[in-house]
Amino acid sequence: MSKDILSSNFFELFELPVSYQVDLSQIQKKYMDLQKQVHPDKFANASDAEKRLSMQQTSWINEAQTTLKDPVLRATYLLKLKGTDINLENETTMDAAFLMQQLEMRERLERIRKEDDPLSALDAMAKELKTSTQDMMAAFSEAYEAGQIDDAREWIRKLQFMQKAKKEIDSMSAEIEDELMS
Amino acid sequence: MALLQIAEPGQATTAHQHRLAVGIDLGTTNSLVATVRSGEVDTLPDENGKHLLPSIVHYGEDEILVGEKAQQCSVTDPLNTIVSVKRFMGRGAEDIAVEDAHYSYTFAETDSAVPRIKTRGGDVSAVEVSAEILKALKQRAIKTLGDELSGAVITVPAYFDDAQRQATKDAAKLADIKVLRLLNEPTAAAVAYGLDTGNEGVIAVYDLGGGTFDISILRLNKGVFEVLATGGNSSLGGDDFDYVIAQWVIEQADFSDADQPAFKRLIMQQARAAKEALAEQESALINIESDNANWQGTLDRETLKELLTPLVKKTLMSCRRALRDADVENEAINEVVMVGGSTRTLIVREMVSDFFQREPLTSIDPDKVVATGAALQADVLVGNKPDDEMLLLDVIPLSLGIETMGGLIEKIIHRNTAIPVAKAQDFTTYKDGQTAMAVHVLQGERELVSDCRSLARFELRGFPPQVAGAARIRVTFQVDADGLLIVSAREENSGVEASVDVKPSYGLSDNEIETMLRDSIEHAEDDMVSRNLREQQVEADRVLEALDSALAVDGEQLLSEDEMAKIQAARQVLVETKTASDVENIRKAIKQLEATCEDYVARRMNSNIKTAMQGHSIEEYASDKKSEVGET
Repeated sequence: MSKDILSSNFFELFELPVSYQVDLSQIQKKYMDLQKQVHPDKFANASDAEKRLSMQQTSWINEAQTTLKDPVLRATYLLKLKGTDINLENETTMDAAFLMQQLEMRERLERIRKEDDPLSALDAMAKELKTSTQDMMAAFSEAYEAGQIDDAREWIRKLQFMQKAKKEIDSMSAEIEDELMS
Repeated sequence: MALLQIAEPGQATTAHQHRLAVGIDLGTTNSLVATVRSGEVDTLPDENGKHLLPSIVHYGEDEILVGEKAQQCSVTDPLNTIVSVKRFMGRGAEDIAVEDAHYSYTFAETDSAVPRIKTRGGDVSAVEVSAEILKALKQRAIKTLGDELSGAVITVPAYFDDAQRQATKDAAKLADIKVLRLLNEPTAAAVAYGLDTGNEGVIAVYDLGGGTFDISILRLNKGVFEVLATGGNSSLGGDDFDYVIAQWVIEQADFSDADQPAFKRLIMQQARAAKEALAEQESALINIESDNANWQGTLDRETLKELLTPLVKKTLMSCRRALRDADVENEAINEVVMVGGSTRTLIVREMVSDFFQREPLTSIDPDKVVATGAALQADVLVGNKPDDEMLLLDVIPLSLGIETMGGLIEKIIHRNTAIPVAKAQDFTTYKDGQTAMAVHVLQGERELVSDCRSLARFELRGFPPQVAGAARIRVTFQVDADGLLIVSAREENSGVEASVDVKPSYGLSDNEIETMLRDSIEHAEDDMVSRNLREQQVEADRVLEALDSALAVDGEQLLSEDEMAKIQAARQVLVETKTASDVENIRKAIKQLEATCEDYVARRMNSNIKTAMQGHSIEEYASDKKSEVGET
């Protein structure tokens, strides 16, 4: 196994089928197995060359785990494996209804501060976001499996929007918590 | 790769040969050394049976004292007796001014970026002072164990940045200690706790020492200790408690000349004594007696609570953030483990228990637990336990990135990423004919360079001149298992390379890391606005630059006078809009200029197709935006 780590793709590495549906518990389990084989702590007394290899392999495993666990990174990686290297930032067209929704959500976020219980409102928003994110993930998966790459790309971009929105909700929560604590 | 045999862990060592390895907790207030002997882990006492070595170094006429003996000189000779040196590790001259409010050392004037404290024994850096403490611990270990050490695991606060970690490693080098690993203090505590109790699940380690605060959220599972997130403040601890108490005393007693170092040190000592006494009793007597002033007063628990609450609240803020970063609900925490001498303070326990809604675990000696965990890992690393399943998986506490055009940071590795980690990102040149690129490495969470800690600068030189945007410079960040960073840069078209082990170039601005973190959230909005503005300004510059160089080449050949005038007019609008701070207007002006140039660009493309055959590039204007190609 260790021979192939650096030349394996992330799915091979974690012994998963190349698919958007991943078994998170399998990732966690395999992650531990791999770490136990190659982590630098196992090579503290080894030669410098082995130490370097161990560091490279562990870095690769860490990147693989991060990519497989993250919905957007995983989707992007799948397309990359298909030879579609997408530079999402350069794409500008976007379905108008979706953009409207995003705008509305951002406006709501701006108003939320003035509500009686902004933290609960934010929690509720985060929950809604999670549900629609899951729907989009399913949509990506469907498009991907059907080989509709253009659609798949569109879903990735939407998922990116969702991820950004989640970040904004989180930082707004942090801001309000800070105020409440000081 | 097949050339390298991967040995089974520990196989290389002879079965019966036991190697001596120690764990060292290099603390702000006290330091300890521990080891595993006949399967039992324990901290090592000095000849008087004391386990804790006060982290104090006294520079005398012709000798250096460490520990208790140095402590005795603390008040009588404060300028030559260095306490709490850990707070100065990896810090630049600018940070020192802020830190030194508590300690009032005299700093030497020097050109070096590393501040040096003036003492009778010469000017010393924080690294040298720490090395003295490490030497004392090493001597203690050799004396007790009767043999040379194979190596040591030295603990650092999880929230230490790259400069502070590097400084710690340098101190060990000075003390001639082989460092097996730098281990994060809360992770060490989790190891001691986990192996002691055999519990599994998610735990929070709240570690409040003399000068640093860490919070780590870990998952314990079958000998694997996986850090999910970490947070903290590398200059908040018991010293700050003492300081606010001392300020209260000064105010109560109405002392006018409390700036005198010896007097200040005396008040700090009394403040600490009172704080410690209040862990056991309802009120404490404070008695200040010196040549210039006398005062007696009482500090009760209620007042102490008032004084310390703001400081403890700061730590809870970090806890919240760490929970969110770990994506763990408060209810999912199985246990809260208290570490560090400052968790003896009752108000800390109360507030932590309120926050996590759970009685924190205080049964493990908060002073010894870190050294104990470090010793356990040292024993494994040195190869004494070849079959051991134990494995520690840690994360990086603060994001790492490089400076891009306009004073912005492009984050390359985000905080709480598992280490070791390697990430590469591609950048390109900004000007035609550019043959060098400066790489400025930074650590922090804010968007602007000026708000983050500068770790290093280096230059990639001598790649062949190309049109702007054609060079492909791949910058790679590699963080090792100690949390230390190596950065390399390579121009992919020519193969020109440069790399640097990151050593602190100069210190932080007076912002501390934790304020940076907090600010990054407070100012997230400002940052976005100023970031957008800068991005548009950079974009405007790029468009102008490309246009000008294109016009210089073939403007007159390809354009009529009228067309030229229109382009020049649109160009002028952009030049003027660019300096105003309206993002939207700049964007419009760029669009307008691009639209005006459309025909010109098409003509250039056509005429260039011919020249391209002769080896010239056609991508000078209207080339795609490639300044920051996405992650690879």
